[in-house]
Amino acid sequence: MKRYGEHRFPGKLFVVEGIDGSGKSTQLMLLHQWLQAEGYGVVFSEWNSSPLVRETTKRGKKKQMLTPATFSLIHATDFADRMEHNILPLLKAGAVVLCDRYIYTAFARDVVRGMEPQWVRELYSFAVKPTGAFYFRVPLEVAMKRILDGRSGVKYYEAGMDLGLSEDPEESFSIFQGRILDEYEKMVPEYDLIAVDATLAIEEQQAQMRQIVKAKLAQAKRLRVAP
Amino acid sequence: MRETYGSVLPGMNLAELTGKLIVIEGTDGVGRSTQIRLLRPWLEQQGRAVLDTAIKRSELAGRGIQQAQEGHTLGRITLSLFYATDFTDRLEHEIIPALRAGFVVLTDRYIYSLMARAILRGADSVWVRNAYSFALKPDAIFYLRIGVDDLIPRVVFSRGFDYWESGMDIHPSEDMYDSFRKYQTELLAEFDNLAEEYGFEVIDATPDVRTVFERLRAGIARVLSGEPREPLFSVSALPEAPEAGGQKVVEMAATARSADAAPEEAQPAAEVLAKATEGDSAR
Repeated sequence: MKRYGEHRFPGKLFVVEGIDGSGKSTQLMLLHQWLQAEGYGVVFSEWNSSPLVRETTKRGKKKQMLTPATFSLIHATDFADRMEHNILPLLKAGAVVLCDRYIYTAFARDVVRGMEPQWVRELYSFAVKPTGAFYFRVPLEVAMKRILDGRSGVKYYEAGMDLGLSEDPEESFSIFQGRILDEYEKMVPEYDLIAVDATLAIEEQQAQMRQIVKAKLAQAKRLRVAP
Repeated sequence: MRETYGSVLPGMNLAELTGKLIVIEGTDGVGRSTQIRLLRPWLEQQGRAVLDTAIKRSELAGRGIQQAQEGHTLGRITLSLFYATDFTDRLEHEIIPALRAGFVVLTDRYIYSLMARAILRGADSVWVRNAYSFALKPDAIFYLRIGVDDLIPRVVFSRGFDYWESGMDIHPSEDMYDSFRKYQTELLAEFDNLAEEYGFEVIDATPDVRTVFERLRAGIARVLSGEPREPLFSVSALPEAPEAGGQKVVEMAATARSADAAPEEAQPAAEVLAKATEGDSAR
Protein backbone atom coordinates (compact mmCIF):
# COMPACT_ATOMS: atom_id res chain seq x y z
CA MET A 1 0.00 0.00 0.00
CA LYS A 2 1.49 3.32 -1.07
CA ARG A 3 1.14 6.16 1.35
CA TYR A 4 0.40 9.87 0.96
CA GLY A 5 3.24 11.59 -0.87
CA GLU A 6 4.78 8.39 -2.25
CA HIS A 7 2.79 8.24 -5.47
CA ARG A 8 4.39 9.31 -8.77
CA PHE A 9 2.06 9.52 -11.74
CA PRO A 10 2.05 11.30 -15.09
CA GLY A 11 -1.43 12.72 -14.39
CA LYS A 12 -2.21 15.77 -12.23
CA LEU A 13 -4.67 16.11 -9.38
CA PHE A 14 -6.32 19.38 -8.35
CA VAL A 15 -8.78 19.58 -5.49
CA VAL A 16 -10.99 22.29 -4.01
CA GLU A 17 -11.84 22.62 -0.33
CA GLY A 18 -13.80 25.00 1.85
CA ILE A 19 -16.97 25.20 3.94
CA ASP A 20 -20.41 24.99 2.33
CA GLY A 21 -21.11 28.28 0.56
CA SER A 22 -17.47 29.12 -0.13
CA GLY A 23 -18.07 28.91 -3.88
CA LYS A 24 -15.55 26.11 -4.46
CA SER A 25 -17.79 24.01 -6.73
CA THR A 26 -18.44 26.98 -9.01
CA GLN A 27 -14.72 27.64 -9.26
CA LEU A 28 -13.97 24.00 -10.05
CA MET A 29 -16.64 23.94 -12.76
CA LEU A 30 -15.08 27.01 -14.39
CA LEU A 31 -11.63 25.45 -14.20
CA HIS A 32 -12.99 22.25 -15.74
CA GLN A 33 -14.44 24.14 -18.71
CA TRP A 34 -11.21 25.99 -19.29
CA LEU A 35 -9.00 22.89 -19.12
CA GLN A 36 -11.28 21.09 -21.55
CA ALA A 37 -11.19 24.01 -23.96
CA GLU A 38 -7.40 23.95 -23.67
CA GLY A 39 -7.53 20.35 -24.85
CA TYR A 40 -6.64 18.46 -21.66
CA GLY A 41 -8.12 15.10 -20.77
CA VAL A 42 -10.07 16.15 -17.67
CA VAL A 43 -12.07 14.01 -15.26
CA PHE A 44 -14.18 15.17 -12.34
CA SER A 45 -14.84 13.29 -9.10
CA GLU A 46 -17.09 14.46 -6.32
CA TRP A 47 -17.01 13.72 -2.58
CA ASN A 48 -19.51 11.08 -1.45
CA SER A 49 -20.48 9.87 -4.93
CA SER A 50 -19.40 6.22 -5.17
CA PRO A 51 -22.29 4.09 -6.48
CA LEU A 52 -20.97 1.13 -4.48
CA VAL A 53 -21.56 2.81 -1.13
CA ARG A 54 -24.49 5.06 -2.00
CA GLU A 55 -27.25 2.82 -0.62
CA THR A 56 -25.44 2.32 2.67
CA THR A 57 -24.75 6.02 3.17
CA LYS A 58 -28.31 6.88 2.24
CA ARG A 59 -29.74 4.41 4.74
CA GLY A 60 -27.40 5.62 7.47
CA LYS A 61 -28.32 9.23 6.93
CA LYS A 62 -32.04 8.68 6.50
CA LYS A 63 -32.35 6.63 9.67
CA GLN A 64 -29.89 8.88 11.47
CA MET A 65 -27.94 5.84 12.57
CA LEU A 66 -24.47 7.19 11.80
CA THR A 67 -22.12 7.86 14.68
CA PRO A 68 -18.95 9.95 14.30
CA ALA A 69 -16.97 6.73 13.70
CA THR A 70 -19.30 5.17 11.13
CA PHE A 71 -19.83 8.54 9.46
CA SER A 72 -16.08 8.76 9.05
CA LEU A 73 -15.63 5.16 7.89
CA ILE A 74 -18.44 5.16 5.34
CA HIS A 75 -17.05 8.32 3.75
CA ALA A 76 -13.59 6.76 3.74
CA THR A 77 -15.06 3.70 2.01
CA ASP A 78 -16.66 5.93 -0.59
CA PHE A 79 -13.39 7.77 -1.11
CA ALA A 80 -11.40 4.51 -1.35
CA ASP A 81 -13.73 3.20 -4.04
CA ARG A 82 -13.28 6.35 -6.11
CA MET A 83 -9.53 6.31 -5.45
CA GLU A 84 -9.08 2.67 -6.49
CA HIS A 85 -11.45 2.60 -9.44
CA ASN A 86 -11.31 6.12 -10.72
CA ILE A 87 -8.67 8.57 -9.52
CA LEU A 88 -5.61 6.26 -9.44
CA PRO A 89 -6.08 4.63 -12.86
CA LEU A 90 -6.79 8.03 -14.42
CA LEU A 91 -3.68 9.58 -12.92
CA LYS A 92 -1.67 6.62 -14.20
CA ALA A 93 -3.14 7.22 -17.63
CA GLY A 94 -2.07 10.86 -17.52
CA ALA A 95 -5.39 12.62 -17.00
CA VAL A 96 -6.05 15.84 -15.14
CA VAL A 97 -8.31 14.83 -12.26
CA LEU A 98 -10.44 17.42 -10.48
CA CYS A 99 -11.94 16.64 -7.09
CA ASP A 100 -14.70 18.61 -5.40
CA ARG A 101 -13.64 18.01 -1.78
CA TYR A 102 -10.85 15.66 -0.84
CA ILE A 103 -9.36 14.13 2.31
CA TYR A 104 -9.18 17.55 4.02
CA THR A 105 -12.97 17.59 4.16
CA ALA A 106 -12.84 14.42 6.24
CA PHE A 107 -10.02 15.78 8.40
CA ALA A 108 -12.15 18.83 9.19
CA ARG A 109 -15.58 17.21 9.66
CA ASP A 110 -14.56 14.04 11.44
CA VAL A 111 -12.36 15.88 13.90
CA VAL A 112 -15.18 18.33 14.66
CA ARG A 113 -17.35 15.24 15.30
CA GLY A 114 -14.85 14.07 17.90
CA MET A 115 -12.60 11.62 16.06
CA GLU A 116 -8.90 11.90 16.87
CA PRO A 117 -7.00 13.97 14.25
CA GLN A 118 -4.22 11.38 13.94
CA TRP A 119 -6.68 8.52 13.54
CA VAL A 120 -8.44 10.22 10.62
CA ARG A 121 -5.17 11.21 8.94
CA GLU A 122 -3.86 7.65 9.12
CA LEU A 123 -7.18 6.29 7.81
CA TYR A 124 -6.72 8.30 4.60
CA SER A 125 -2.99 7.70 4.26
CA PHE A 126 -3.60 5.70 1.05
CA ALA A 127 -4.72 8.90 -0.72
CA VAL A 128 -2.65 10.52 -3.44
CA LYS A 129 -1.14 13.88 -2.54
CA PRO A 130 -2.74 16.50 -4.83
CA THR A 131 -0.72 18.54 -7.30
CA GLY A 132 -2.59 21.53 -5.96
CA ALA A 133 -5.18 21.84 -3.20
CA PHE A 134 -7.18 25.10 -3.25
CA TYR A 135 -8.82 26.29 -0.09
CA PHE A 136 -11.59 28.85 -0.56
CA ARG A 137 -11.42 31.01 2.51
CA VAL A 138 -14.62 32.78 3.41
CA PRO A 139 -15.97 34.38 6.62
CA LEU A 140 -18.69 32.29 8.24
CA GLU A 141 -21.39 34.99 7.88
CA VAL A 142 -20.80 35.30 4.13
CA ALA A 143 -21.03 31.55 3.59
CA MET A 144 -24.12 31.28 5.81
CA LYS A 145 -25.90 33.99 3.86
CA ARG A 146 -25.11 32.30 0.53
CA ILE A 147 -26.39 28.93 1.78
CA LEU A 148 -29.55 30.09 3.48
CA ASP A 149 -30.53 32.40 0.60
CA GLY A 150 -30.15 29.66 -1.94
CA ARG A 151 -31.79 26.73 -0.19
CA SER A 152 -34.97 25.95 1.66
CA GLY A 153 -33.11 24.39 4.56
CA VAL A 154 -30.10 22.34 5.60
CA LYS A 155 -30.02 18.60 6.15
CA TYR A 156 -29.48 16.86 9.48
CA TYR A 157 -25.84 15.80 9.13
CA GLU A 158 -24.95 18.86 7.03
CA ALA A 159 -26.00 21.04 9.94
CA GLY A 160 -24.11 18.86 12.40
CA MET A 161 -27.39 18.14 14.21
CA ASP A 162 -25.94 14.80 15.35
CA LEU A 163 -23.57 16.71 17.65
CA GLY A 164 -26.42 18.20 19.68
CA LEU A 165 -25.01 21.71 19.36
CA SER A 166 -28.42 23.33 19.15
CA GLU A 167 -32.05 22.36 18.63
CA ASP A 168 -32.28 24.98 15.91
CA PRO A 169 -30.89 23.67 12.59
CA GLU A 170 -29.69 27.08 11.46
CA GLU A 171 -27.89 27.78 14.69
CA SER A 172 -26.42 24.27 14.74
CA PHE A 173 -25.28 24.71 11.15
CA SER A 174 -23.57 27.97 12.02
CA ILE A 175 -21.71 26.55 15.05
CA PHE A 176 -20.73 23.42 13.13
CA GLN A 177 -19.43 25.29 10.08
CA GLY A 178 -17.54 27.68 12.34
CA ARG A 179 -15.68 24.75 13.90
CA ILE A 180 -14.96 23.27 10.48
CA LEU A 181 -13.55 26.62 9.42
CA ASP A 182 -11.13 26.48 12.37
CA GLU A 183 -9.98 23.01 11.32
CA TYR A 184 -9.38 24.19 7.74
CA GLU A 185 -7.29 27.09 8.95
CA LYS A 186 -5.09 24.67 10.90
CA MET A 187 -4.58 22.60 7.75
CA VAL A 188 -3.44 25.48 5.53
CA PRO A 189 0.18 25.33 6.77
CA GLU A 190 0.05 21.58 7.56
CA TYR A 191 -0.78 20.59 3.98
CA ASP A 192 0.30 23.68 2.01
CA LEU A 193 -3.26 24.41 0.96
CA ILE A 194 -3.44 27.26 -1.56
CA ALA A 195 -5.72 29.80 0.09
CA VAL A 196 -7.96 31.82 -2.21
CA ASP A 197 -9.91 34.79 -0.93
CA ALA A 198 -13.46 33.63 -1.67
CA THR A 199 -14.96 37.09 -1.08
CA LEU A 200 -13.33 38.38 -4.28
CA ALA A 201 -15.23 38.52 -7.56
CA ILE A 202 -15.75 35.07 -9.11
CA GLU A 203 -13.72 35.87 -12.22
CA GLU A 204 -10.87 37.24 -10.13
CA GLN A 205 -10.67 34.00 -8.09
CA GLN A 206 -10.82 31.99 -11.29
CA ALA A 207 -7.97 33.96 -12.85
CA GLN A 208 -5.77 33.23 -9.82
CA MET A 209 -6.67 29.58 -9.96
CA ARG A 210 -5.93 29.23 -13.67
CA GLN A 211 -2.57 30.92 -13.31
CA ILE A 212 -1.49 28.44 -10.62
CA VAL A 213 -2.85 25.41 -12.48
CA LYS A 214 -1.18 26.54 -15.69
CA ALA A 215 2.19 26.78 -13.96
CA LYS A 216 1.82 23.29 -12.50
CA LEU A 217 0.78 21.77 -15.81
CA ALA A 218 3.69 23.42 -17.61
CA GLN A 219 6.15 21.52 -15.43
CA ALA A 220 4.56 18.25 -16.42
CA LYS A 221 4.86 16.07 -19.46
CA ARG A 222 2.49 16.94 -22.22
CA LEU A 223 -0.91 15.70 -21.12
CA ARG A 224 -3.10 17.19 -23.78
CA VAL A 225 -5.46 15.13 -25.82
CA ALA A 226 -6.77 16.14 -29.22
CA PRO A 227 -9.96 18.20 -28.85
CA MET B 1 -11.53 -1.78 33.68
CA ARG B 2 -12.13 -2.39 30.02
CA GLU B 3 -9.59 -1.03 27.54
CA THR B 4 -9.38 -0.39 23.81
CA TYR B 5 -6.46 -0.99 21.48
CA GLY B 6 -5.65 2.71 21.39
CA SER B 7 -8.18 5.42 20.69
CA VAL B 8 -11.54 5.80 22.41
CA LEU B 9 -14.71 6.59 20.45
CA PRO B 10 -16.47 9.88 21.14
CA GLY B 11 -18.98 9.54 23.95
CA MET B 12 -17.82 6.10 25.09
CA ASN B 13 -17.57 5.38 28.80
CA LEU B 14 -15.46 2.26 29.26
CA ALA B 15 -16.29 1.92 32.94
CA GLU B 16 -19.93 1.15 32.12
CA LEU B 17 -19.13 -1.89 30.01
CA THR B 18 -19.53 -4.56 32.63
CA GLY B 19 -20.51 -7.52 30.45
CA LYS B 20 -18.10 -10.08 29.01
CA LEU B 21 -16.78 -9.95 25.47
CA ILE B 22 -15.78 -13.34 24.13
CA VAL B 23 -14.39 -13.74 20.65
CA ILE B 24 -14.40 -16.93 18.59
CA GLU B 25 -11.86 -16.58 15.79
CA GLY B 26 -10.79 -18.96 13.08
CA THR B 27 -10.68 -19.30 9.35
CA ASP B 28 -13.53 -19.93 6.92
CA GLY B 29 -15.28 -23.28 7.46
CA VAL B 30 -13.54 -24.18 10.72
CA GLY B 31 -16.85 -24.47 12.61
CA ARG B 32 -17.11 -21.18 14.49
CA SER B 33 -20.82 -20.67 13.93
CA THR B 34 -21.59 -24.29 14.86
CA GLN B 35 -19.84 -23.73 18.18
CA ILE B 36 -21.66 -20.48 18.83
CA ARG B 37 -24.99 -22.22 18.25
CA LEU B 38 -24.01 -24.67 20.98
CA LEU B 39 -22.54 -22.13 23.36
CA ARG B 40 -25.51 -19.81 23.41
CA PRO B 41 -28.08 -22.21 24.91
CA TRP B 42 -25.47 -23.53 27.31
CA LEU B 43 -24.85 -20.01 28.62
CA GLU B 44 -28.55 -19.20 28.74
CA GLN B 45 -29.22 -22.30 30.83
CA GLN B 46 -26.89 -20.80 33.38
CA GLY B 47 -28.94 -17.63 33.42
CA ARG B 48 -26.57 -15.56 31.32
CA ALA B 49 -28.03 -13.18 28.75
CA VAL B 50 -26.22 -13.66 25.46
CA LEU B 51 -25.80 -11.52 22.37
CA ASP B 52 -24.26 -13.23 19.40
CA THR B 53 -23.03 -11.24 16.45
CA ALA B 54 -21.00 -11.86 13.31
CA ILE B 55 -19.35 -10.08 10.44
CA LYS B 56 -21.59 -8.52 7.78
CA ARG B 57 -24.60 -8.53 10.09
CA SER B 58 -24.69 -4.79 10.75
CA GLU B 59 -27.88 -2.93 9.98
CA LEU B 60 -25.86 -0.18 8.34
CA ALA B 61 -23.44 -1.96 6.03
CA GLY B 62 -24.20 -5.69 5.98
CA ARG B 63 -26.39 -5.60 2.91
CA GLY B 64 -24.14 -3.12 1.13
CA ILE B 65 -21.10 -5.38 1.47
CA GLN B 66 -23.09 -8.38 0.31
CA GLN B 67 -24.22 -6.58 -2.82
CA ALA B 68 -20.79 -5.16 -3.54
CA GLN B 69 -19.19 -8.60 -3.18
CA GLU B 70 -21.61 -10.16 -5.61
CA GLY B 71 -20.30 -7.82 -8.27
CA HIS B 72 -16.66 -8.70 -7.44
CA THR B 73 -15.86 -5.06 -8.13
CA LEU B 74 -14.51 -4.08 -4.74
CA GLY B 75 -11.05 -2.61 -4.51
CA ARG B 76 -8.87 -3.92 -1.71
CA ILE B 77 -8.81 -0.80 0.43
CA THR B 78 -12.50 -0.23 -0.24
CA LEU B 79 -13.32 -3.75 0.94
CA SER B 80 -11.31 -3.29 4.14
CA LEU B 81 -13.01 0.00 4.91
CA PHE B 82 -16.46 -1.38 4.16
CA TYR B 83 -15.79 -4.17 6.65
CA ALA B 84 -14.50 -1.64 9.16
CA THR B 85 -17.76 0.29 8.77
CA ASP B 86 -19.78 -2.89 9.35
CA PHE B 87 -17.68 -3.78 12.39
CA THR B 88 -17.97 -0.31 13.91
CA ASP B 89 -21.73 -0.20 13.44
CA ARG B 90 -22.04 -3.52 15.28
CA LEU B 91 -19.57 -2.40 17.93
CA GLU B 92 -21.52 0.77 18.69
CA HIS B 93 -25.07 -0.45 18.18
CA GLU B 94 -24.90 -4.06 19.37
CA ILE B 95 -21.77 -4.97 21.30
CA ILE B 96 -21.39 -1.87 23.47
CA PRO B 97 -25.08 -1.62 24.50
CA ALA B 98 -25.05 -5.34 25.37
CA LEU B 99 -21.88 -5.00 27.44
CA ARG B 100 -23.39 -2.02 29.18
CA ALA B 101 -26.41 -4.17 30.06
CA GLY B 102 -24.16 -6.90 31.47
CA PHE B 103 -24.58 -9.43 28.64
CA VAL B 104 -22.14 -12.08 27.54
CA VAL B 105 -21.30 -11.09 23.98
CA LEU B 106 -20.21 -13.99 21.78
CA THR B 107 -18.77 -12.69 18.58
CA ASP B 108 -18.17 -14.87 15.56
CA ARG B 109 -14.87 -13.28 14.44
CA TYR B 110 -13.64 -9.88 15.52
CA ILE B 111 -11.09 -7.42 14.21
CA TYR B 112 -8.41 -10.11 13.81
CA SER B 113 -10.01 -11.84 10.81
CA LEU B 114 -10.56 -8.46 9.22
CA MET B 115 -6.97 -7.45 9.87
CA ALA B 116 -5.59 -10.73 8.52
CA ARG B 117 -7.62 -10.42 5.33
CA ALA B 118 -6.59 -6.80 4.80
CA ILE B 119 -2.90 -7.55 5.41
CA LEU B 120 -3.02 -10.41 2.90
CA ARG B 121 -4.45 -7.96 0.39
CA GLY B 122 -1.49 -5.66 0.76
CA ALA B 123 -2.76 -3.22 3.36
CA ASP B 124 -0.14 -1.50 5.44
CA SER B 125 -0.02 -3.07 8.92
CA VAL B 126 0.15 0.33 10.67
CA TRP B 127 -2.87 1.45 8.68
CA VAL B 128 -4.91 -1.64 9.61
CA ARG B 129 -4.07 -1.40 13.30
CA ASN B 130 -5.01 2.27 13.31
CA ALA B 131 -8.34 1.63 11.63
CA TYR B 132 -9.37 -0.78 14.42
CA SER B 133 -7.60 0.96 17.28
CA PHE B 134 -10.88 1.86 19.02
CA ALA B 135 -11.96 -1.79 19.22
CA LEU B 136 -12.50 -3.06 22.76
CA LYS B 137 -10.02 -5.57 24.10
CA PRO B 138 -12.02 -8.78 24.62
CA ASP B 139 -12.07 -10.79 27.83
CA ALA B 140 -10.92 -13.80 25.83
CA ILE B 141 -10.13 -14.69 22.25
CA PHE B 142 -10.54 -18.35 21.42
CA TYR B 143 -8.86 -19.26 18.17
CA LEU B 144 -10.08 -22.44 16.49
CA ARG B 145 -6.91 -23.56 14.80
CA ILE B 146 -6.77 -26.00 11.92
CA GLY B 147 -4.25 -26.91 9.24
CA VAL B 148 -5.12 -26.34 5.61
CA ASP B 149 -5.11 -30.10 4.89
CA ASP B 150 -7.77 -30.68 7.51
CA LEU B 151 -9.71 -27.63 6.41
CA ILE B 152 -10.06 -28.52 2.74
CA PRO B 153 -12.21 -31.66 3.16
CA ARG B 154 -14.56 -29.80 5.52
CA VAL B 155 -15.10 -27.10 2.97
CA VAL B 156 -15.38 -29.45 0.00
CA PHE B 157 -17.98 -31.65 1.69
CA SER B 158 -20.06 -28.83 3.10
CA ARG B 159 -20.47 -25.60 1.21
CA GLY B 160 -17.81 -25.77 -1.48
CA PHE B 161 -15.29 -23.10 -2.38
CA ASP B 162 -16.39 -19.50 -2.17
CA TYR B 163 -14.88 -16.77 -4.37
CA TRP B 164 -13.72 -14.53 -1.51
CA GLU B 165 -12.78 -17.34 0.90
CA SER B 166 -10.59 -18.70 -1.85
CA GLY B 167 -8.89 -15.36 -2.30
CA MET B 168 -9.83 -15.42 -5.98
CA ASP B 169 -9.48 -11.65 -5.97
CA ILE B 170 -5.76 -11.98 -5.22
CA HIS B 171 -4.97 -15.25 -7.02
CA PRO B 172 -7.27 -14.94 -10.03
CA SER B 173 -5.17 -17.06 -12.37
CA GLU B 174 -5.57 -20.21 -10.29
CA ASP B 175 -8.52 -22.57 -10.12
CA MET B 176 -10.63 -22.43 -6.96
CA TYR B 177 -8.85 -25.34 -5.29
CA ASP B 178 -5.32 -24.04 -5.84
CA SER B 179 -6.35 -20.57 -4.94
CA PHE B 180 -8.15 -21.72 -1.79
CA ARG B 181 -5.14 -23.72 -0.65
CA LYS B 182 -2.71 -20.89 -1.27
CA TYR B 183 -4.92 -18.20 0.22
CA GLN B 184 -5.91 -20.16 3.33
CA THR B 185 -2.29 -21.19 3.95
CA GLU B 186 -1.31 -17.53 3.95
CA LEU B 187 -4.30 -16.63 6.07
CA LEU B 188 -3.50 -19.28 8.69
CA ALA B 189 0.08 -18.04 8.87
CA GLU B 190 -1.18 -14.50 9.43
CA PHE B 191 -3.53 -15.76 12.16
CA ASP B 192 -0.56 -17.36 13.91
CA ASN B 193 1.22 -13.99 13.86
CA LEU B 194 -1.82 -12.28 15.30
CA ALA B 195 -2.29 -15.08 17.87
CA GLU B 196 0.97 -14.17 19.46
CA GLU B 197 0.55 -10.41 19.26
CA TYR B 198 -3.00 -10.38 20.64
CA GLY B 199 -2.80 -13.33 23.03
CA PHE B 200 -5.26 -15.76 21.44
CA GLU B 201 -6.11 -18.90 23.36
CA VAL B 202 -5.58 -21.58 20.77
CA ILE B 203 -7.98 -24.51 20.55
CA ASP B 204 -7.23 -27.37 18.22
CA ALA B 205 -10.20 -27.49 15.85
CA THR B 206 -9.39 -30.84 14.23
CA PRO B 207 -11.32 -33.06 16.68
CA ASP B 208 -15.09 -33.54 16.47
CA VAL B 209 -17.61 -30.84 17.32
CA ARG B 210 -18.27 -32.11 20.86
CA THR B 211 -14.60 -32.17 21.85
CA VAL B 212 -14.05 -28.65 20.57
CA PHE B 213 -17.24 -27.56 22.33
CA GLU B 214 -16.07 -29.02 25.63
CA ARG B 215 -12.77 -27.19 25.40
CA LEU B 216 -14.46 -23.92 24.52
CA ARG B 217 -16.92 -24.40 27.36
CA ALA B 218 -14.10 -24.96 29.84
CA GLY B 219 -12.35 -21.81 28.61
CA ILE B 220 -15.48 -19.69 28.77
CA ALA B 221 -16.46 -21.01 32.21
CA ARG B 222 -13.05 -19.93 33.42
CA VAL B 223 -13.46 -16.43 31.92
CA LEU B 224 -16.90 -16.01 33.47
CA SER B 225 -15.75 -17.12 36.89
CA GLY B 226 -12.97 -14.56 36.67
CA GLU B 227 -10.17 -17.09 37.04
CA PRO B 228 -6.82 -16.22 35.51
CA ARG B 229 -5.99 -17.53 32.11
CA GLU B 230 -4.19 -20.78 31.64
CA PRO B 231 -3.68 -21.36 27.93
CA LEU B 232 -5.08 -24.66 26.74
CA PHE B 233 -2.65 -24.75 23.90
CA SER B 234 -0.14 -22.37 22.51
CA VAL B 235 0.66 -22.01 18.84
CA SER B 236 4.16 -23.36 19.24
CA ALA B 237 3.01 -26.44 21.17
CA LEU B 238 0.73 -27.61 18.36
CA PRO B 239 2.15 -30.13 15.93
CA GLU B 240 2.44 -29.05 12.33
CA ALA B 241 -0.51 -30.16 10.25
CA PRO B 242 0.48 -33.51 8.70
CA GLU B 243 0.44 -34.05 4.95
CA ALA B 244 -2.94 -35.23 3.79
CA GLY B 245 -2.60 -38.92 3.00
CA GLY B 246 -5.56 -40.68 1.36
CA GLN B 247 -6.71 -42.32 4.57
CA LYS B 248 -6.53 -39.06 6.47
CA VAL B 249 -8.71 -37.21 3.98
CA VAL B 250 -11.46 -39.81 4.17
CA GLU B 251 -11.40 -39.80 7.93
CA MET B 252 -11.56 -36.02 8.15
CA ALA B 253 -14.33 -35.87 5.62
CA ALA B 254 -16.53 -37.97 7.89
CA THR B 255 -15.95 -35.61 10.78
CA ALA B 256 -16.30 -32.61 8.57
CA ARG B 257 -19.69 -33.64 7.30
CA SER B 258 -21.02 -33.93 10.77
CA ALA B 259 -19.47 -30.65 11.85
CA ASP B 260 -20.10 -28.33 9.00
CA ALA B 261 -22.53 -29.95 6.61
CA ALA B 262 -25.38 -28.20 8.35
CA PRO B 263 -26.59 -25.06 6.63
CA GLU B 264 -25.05 -21.96 8.17
CA GLU B 265 -28.32 -20.55 9.46
CA ALA B 266 -30.40 -21.58 12.45
CA GLN B 267 -29.64 -25.19 13.22
CA PRO B 268 -31.00 -26.38 16.54
CA ALA B 269 -28.15 -27.10 18.90
CA ALA B 270 -29.41 -30.56 19.85
CA GLU B 271 -29.48 -31.63 16.24
CA VAL B 272 -25.95 -30.40 15.64
CA LEU B 273 -24.69 -32.31 18.64
CA ALA B 274 -26.59 -35.46 17.71
CA LYS B 275 -25.04 -35.38 14.28
CA ALA B 276 -21.63 -34.78 15.76
CA THR B 277 -22.04 -37.81 17.98
CA GLU B 278 -23.19 -39.90 15.03
CA GLY B 279 -20.00 -38.91 13.26
CA ASP B 280 -18.00 -40.11 16.24
CA SER B 281 -19.60 -43.53 16.44
CA ALA B 282 -19.37 -43.99 12.69
CA ARG B 283 -15.65 -43.70 13.04
